[in-house]
Amino acid sequence: MAKIDLLAKQKIDSFVLFLCIFISFALIFTNNNKNVQSLRTSALDTFSFLYQPFNWLDNQLFLNKKLEVLSEENLKLNLENQILSSNKIENERLRDLLKFRDRNELDFIGADILSKGINSNMSSVLLNRGLSDGVKNNNPVLSSRGVVGKTILVADNYSAVQLISDIDFRLSVKIMPSETEGIMRWITNDTCEIVEVQTTSDVQIGDIVLTSNLSIYFPPNLPVGEVISFYKKSNSSNKVVRMKLFSDLSTLNQLFILRGDS
Amino acid sequence: MQLSFTRYFLLAVVLQLVFSELLTVNGFQPNIILLFVILSSISMENISRATLIGFFIGLLSDLILFNGSYIGLSSLIFSICAYLSARVSFNFVYRNFDLYWLVLVSLGSGLYAFFRYDFFFFNDILLFLKNWIFVATYTSFAGFMITRLFKVKEKVLEDA
Repeated sequence: MAKIDLLAKQKIDSFVLFLCIFISFALIFTNNNKNVQSLRTSALDTFSFLYQPFNWLDNQLFLNKKLEVLSEENLKLNLENQILSSNKIENERLRDLLKFRDRNELDFIGADILSKGINSNMSSVLLNRGLSDGVKNNNPVLSSRGVVGKTILVADNYSAVQLISDIDFRLSVKIMPSETEGIMRWITNDTCEIVEVQTTSDVQIGDIVLTSNLSIYFPPNLPVGEVISFYKKSNSSNKVVRMKLFSDLSTLNQLFILRGDS
Repeated sequence: MQLSFTRYFLLAVVLQLVFSELLTVNGFQPNIILLFVILSSISMENISRATLIGFFIGLLSDLILFNGSYIGLSSLIFSICAYLSARVSFNFVYRNFDLYWLVLVSLGSGLYAFFRYDFFFFNDILLFLKNWIFVATYTSFAGFMITRLFKVKEKVLEDA
């Protein structure tokens, strides 16, 4: 009798584990379901207050360092701006001569990072901007240096951003000046890999990587990174280009969301 | 028992938030909630209960603690770890407490890495191992500090 009891107990334990695994897999495979998404956005809006004290503490602890970095960046950008202003006038004059169509101005909104998530390797962040600020799903997100990700979940006042460092993130890019197109994916730290690059393409170390014209969500010519190496893949007509991101993902603080019609 | 479980759970949430917001190393952070699930399940006699608690804590951390892009991943890992953690016999834990939770932390981190970095697992095993080892080592390091600081072994064995 005791043996039967023990067997039954063990069977119940195994059944409960199996049930938990089954429900977990069911949830994983229904992550794009509207009900699951709306549950997540509600949870995001309701429980974001948990991060506020830590965000405040983080700001206080690293305020001086942040100011130092921002001042340095401001100086660099000021100098760059002087050069770009004169180039812009020249560019407008030339575009006018060629009767080019006016390009849309990009509409950015600044946002603070509330949380870097409890995922063991940082792949998403939580921002304090949401639907009420005109943010939508799949809006590009940039740091002051370049692309860092896109919004994947937007609640009323908060939005979750999938970073480039998420293993599922892909971005269509072009390598300048050769305008070679490829698909970028994250590898490690600030290093990414561009695949589907033609072997015949003229890529050099130090070339700049920008978003391509083929991306659905990202407008063209947003800065992404710089080529650091490349090699030919065996048994393939393509080569693989390794690049370093302009943005340092481990020191992100303020980000910019590019509002659009996504 | 109920009160101390809730108290330690809240402490684990606060510690997790402290690590995730202030003490990330190269983007990596320890999984304190996983550590809590493992340590709290060791003393539970009812394995089904431990598994269900692991499942719900996982669901909670996916929904409330903003655990990346998936819902269900933490509940999957935590329920497996809680089940294994609760299955162990008391004598074994008494003699090999540190070894036991370290093995389970490594297993939990490995499962996490497998589901999150399946692409690396099939294409670049070294990068997969790097992610796994880094998170497991950081969690183990934090775990050593926490178990010593809060005298977790004594409390777990008292409860068992």
